[in-house]
Amino acid sequence: MKDYLIFLWRCARLSFRGNWKYYTWMFILTAIALLGLNAYTKQLVAGLVTTGMTDQVSWGLYIANFTYLVGVAAAAVMLVIPVYIYKNRELHDLVILGELLAVAAIIMCLLFVTVDLGRPDRFIHLLLRFNFPISMLTWDVLVLNGYLVLNLHICGYLIYCAYHKRQPSKIFYIPFVFLAIGWAITIHTVTAFLYSGLGGRPFWNSAVIAPRFIASAFAAGPAIIILTLQIIRHATQYPVADAALHLLRRIVTVALSINMFLLGSEVFTEFYTGSAHSVSARYLFVGLHGHHALVPWIWSAIFLNTGALFVLLTPLSRRLWILNLACAAMIVGIWIEKGMGLIVPAFIPSPLGEIVEYTPTANEILVCLGIWAFGLLLYTIFVRITVPVLQGHLTADSDSTDIPQQVDAS
Amino acid sequence: MGVGSASQSFSATWGAPLGGLLIGPAFLALAAVMWFGSLEIITPGAPTPLFDKSALTPGGLRPRMDEPPTSLIGGYNQRCNDCHQVFTSRFDPSRPPSQHTHIHFDHGINDSCTNCHARKNRERLILRDGVEIPFNEVATLCQQCHGPVYRDWKRGTHGKTMGSWQMGSPAQRRLVCTECHDPHAPTYAPMVPLPGPNTLHMGERAEVVHQKPERNPLRRWTTPARDADPHPINEEHN
Amino acid sequence: MRLPVVKNQESVHSSASSCGDGCTCSGGANPYTGSTRPGMTRRSFLRRGAAVTGGLAALAASLSPLRDLDGDDIPSVQKFLQKHYKEMSGEEMEEALARIRKEVEKRYDVRPDIRDFKPMDGVEFVYGLNLSRCIGCRKCVHACVAENNQSRDPEIQYIRVLEMPRGSVDIEDGDHSYDRATVPDENHYYMPIQCHQCANPPCVKVCPVEATWQEDDGITVIDYDWCIGCRYCEAACPYWARRFNFAKPTLPKADLNPNMAYLSNRPREKGVMEKCHFCLQRTRQGRLPACLEVCPTGARKFGNILDPQSEVSQILKTKRVFVLKADVGTLPRFFYYFDERDPISDIPLEASSEHAGESA
Repeated sequence: MKDYLIFLWRCARLSFRGNWKYYTWMFILTAIALLGLNAYTKQLVAGLVTTGMTDQVSWGLYIANFTYLVGVAAAAVMLVIPVYIYKNRELHDLVILGELLAVAAIIMCLLFVTVDLGRPDRFIHLLLRFNFPISMLTWDVLVLNGYLVLNLHICGYLIYCAYHKRQPSKIFYIPFVFLAIGWAITIHTVTAFLYSGLGGRPFWNSAVIAPRFIASAFAAGPAIIILTLQIIRHATQYPVADAALHLLRRIVTVALSINMFLLGSEVFTEFYTGSAHSVSARYLFVGLHGHHALVPWIWSAIFLNTGALFVLLTPLSRRLWILNLACAAMIVGIWIEKGMGLIVPAFIPSPLGEIVEYTPTANEILVCLGIWAFGLLLYTIFVRITVPVLQGHLTADSDSTDIPQQVDAS
Repeated sequence: MGVGSASQSFSATWGAPLGGLLIGPAFLALAAVMWFGSLEIITPGAPTPLFDKSALTPGGLRPRMDEPPTSLIGGYNQRCNDCHQVFTSRFDPSRPPSQHTHIHFDHGINDSCTNCHARKNRERLILRDGVEIPFNEVATLCQQCHGPVYRDWKRGTHGKTMGSWQMGSPAQRRLVCTECHDPHAPTYAPMVPLPGPNTLHMGERAEVVHQKPERNPLRRWTTPARDADPHPINEEHN
Repeated sequence: MRLPVVKNQESVHSSASSCGDGCTCSGGANPYTGSTRPGMTRRSFLRRGAAVTGGLAALAASLSPLRDLDGDDIPSVQKFLQKHYKEMSGEEMEEALARIRKEVEKRYDVRPDIRDFKPMDGVEFVYGLNLSRCIGCRKCVHACVAENNQSRDPEIQYIRVLEMPRGSVDIEDGDHSYDRATVPDENHYYMPIQCHQCANPPCVKVCPVEATWQEDDGITVIDYDWCIGCRYCEAACPYWARRFNFAKPTLPKADLNPNMAYLSNRPREKGVMEKCHFCLQRTRQGRLPACLEVCPTGARKFGNILDPQSEVSQILKTKRVFVLKADVGTLPRFFYYFDERDPISDIPLEASSEHAGESA
């Protein structure tokens, strides 16, 4: 126990050390996170009136980001499956980086849900009267926290073993790895059911939402991992093989194709049927009664995603910089598609046919940026600790002063 | 390697100051910005415009009539027969009345006073078969022509009930015809509506009104231009 | 392709070696033990101190808007420990009511008559609305606001009156903000919409903390002291019947209705949901809802559907009724119905006979 505390203490100390790039990067993230915290306390004082949300559009940027990040967290499984089921070698040493990303993403998810609450001070009520299994939101609370615990256990165990230069005992983590694989699918499915279970919102009330969530997550998540791994490779001495990136590229290509196919199916059903239920889709894609705030968003998302898919399907994307471009386009494209393209339009028009558009306020955006910065800060610290441990620079018997300085600007 | 050495010299020159010297003051500057930053609480949406609260008085549109009916004349509540025992009056629907001129008469084919008012006793109403009834039983009079409405009123599906929803409760009272309808002009007069909604971020009220073009579902049957599209969006994109 | 790693390794090492005297980021000193080890100069210690102080100052400053936090918004111990409505014993409810009484008196200078009304036995409330009679005067909207202590700024209203073009029952065609000199307009009819008190309420299903539930008399209520403000119920409601307090609700002291109930019209706080509750502070005492009593045309009907003599039973038996969005399976307790004739668009007898003559 004492030994574990010493390990944590050394990790904490390590996270405060680096060269000037590391400091600058950490300072910027801390500054943004603090600005976000500042914006959130303003929201606490004044209420959610500081956001652009209304009774008509009652969920906005917070829930959009939450949905996207659940996908990112679930996507870590796309590193785990090749390694633990198909015994892939290239990805073997990278799995833990993906799982740490999942941990950071889940923490961001929980923060996004918390800032969306009108009465965060009553959070305890979730423990006292938990409407399980009726409310999908309780399912979501369970699976998200469960996934967080699972991943913390797996990562923590593996890192701690490496710290002690011990071979990890399979029984302590392999069952959890397989559990986490199933669990990852669950978290995003439950998040999709959160929306698709609502009969009063025809735009969401579609069975294709859950598959679409999974497909888009498995495209955007690995895309983020592709970029992250290259940054880690650039910033630390951690070996990342190109073959690993190319395997992820194939995964991303397949997932993005499926996502585009499902999106197409959705669009066909909405527009060919042309029933009264397709008004939200009409608002999203072409505008309704002279209101078209979301039209540029969704078309840029479609443009970015189609462009990325086109590039990925050609041999062009074997070049890393082109692959990176495609990944960046896809990350943004799917963020828009899931946020502005899926959460917001379901509220417009309102169930009574009233059109009130949604524009996030500066304060709301600042809170979101703050949470993103905090998540990146966490992930940077995770990587900062993990890389020297895995490389054997930081072990139980090494002196902390031996650790080489590392640049980390992920 | 060139990049490496460049970054090395850069970090040697600037790394140390950036690493420590600037972070403290930078944080302090950030702190100052947040400390002195104002807390703006905007409520996007105007409060409800003021209106006459008397519009919210519960009950019918018209006062309940006394039995027998009275009216305020010369500062006193006078009964009908106070005058009508003295003065004779004519009942000629073709000529405008010389008295009771405030009465606006618009009751369709029912255009004669004596259709309803008893000629002999002005404090009574008269049925078609000559039976005289008091004013508070006016529904019996009206039902002679308005059968279906009377049936609905008896059932409680027409008209207004006040006091209680519990059937048979002493507090419950079903308003009679003349507590809502003016018997001389039973159709409701147009009313000024109370202010419309103005919730958060709804924007200017006028904007909402004008930006949602009215769709006329009857256009196919009323206008010759059948091809006129109800949705301007489609027009833009066609 | 392993080159970048090697290059980085070198640059990393070289940058490490560049850290020496005066460098705050060096591994040579340990600031966390508070002791100055060899290699740790006083200057670098000061710089670290400045960074830590600055960081803490920024953290404190970021929390500075809490200065403006309203004292009322900080929950008291009693309030924090208050149980869920269904778990409260009689005494605990009395304590909660006493607390609310005190709070209301402090804020509005009025001693409220607040009680906890329970559903009556053998009663299930149903609402009927006669579309042939509604003239769209919006008196119900404002009578509701006055009765139920809704916020005036920002404005919260439970009832929306839609101006519908004749020939359509699609609420997409409705106009919410019609602003006419007088109503009714002969080319339109009017459809007020409020909470339908569904028998199969989606809003109740989704609440993660059971802060909203359906009572035995069919009214779906909210425990305002239990709601966490996630707004999932608002997303789930197909009738847009729920409202959220995005800001602290305000209403003039003089306008407060002092007759209140725990589950209905007691003043709300910011960050919680609210909705129409069929004026349960009135209806559970046998009275009628405020929206009904103010209606000038008698378009609104309310009563006990379990009593065959009640007006609403008669409406369901004798009129042609419909519910909104029957396809979502919510089983509303709010029925719309029509009369045989429509007094607003009624064509005068002579005109209609002319018309008949033309078409014949």
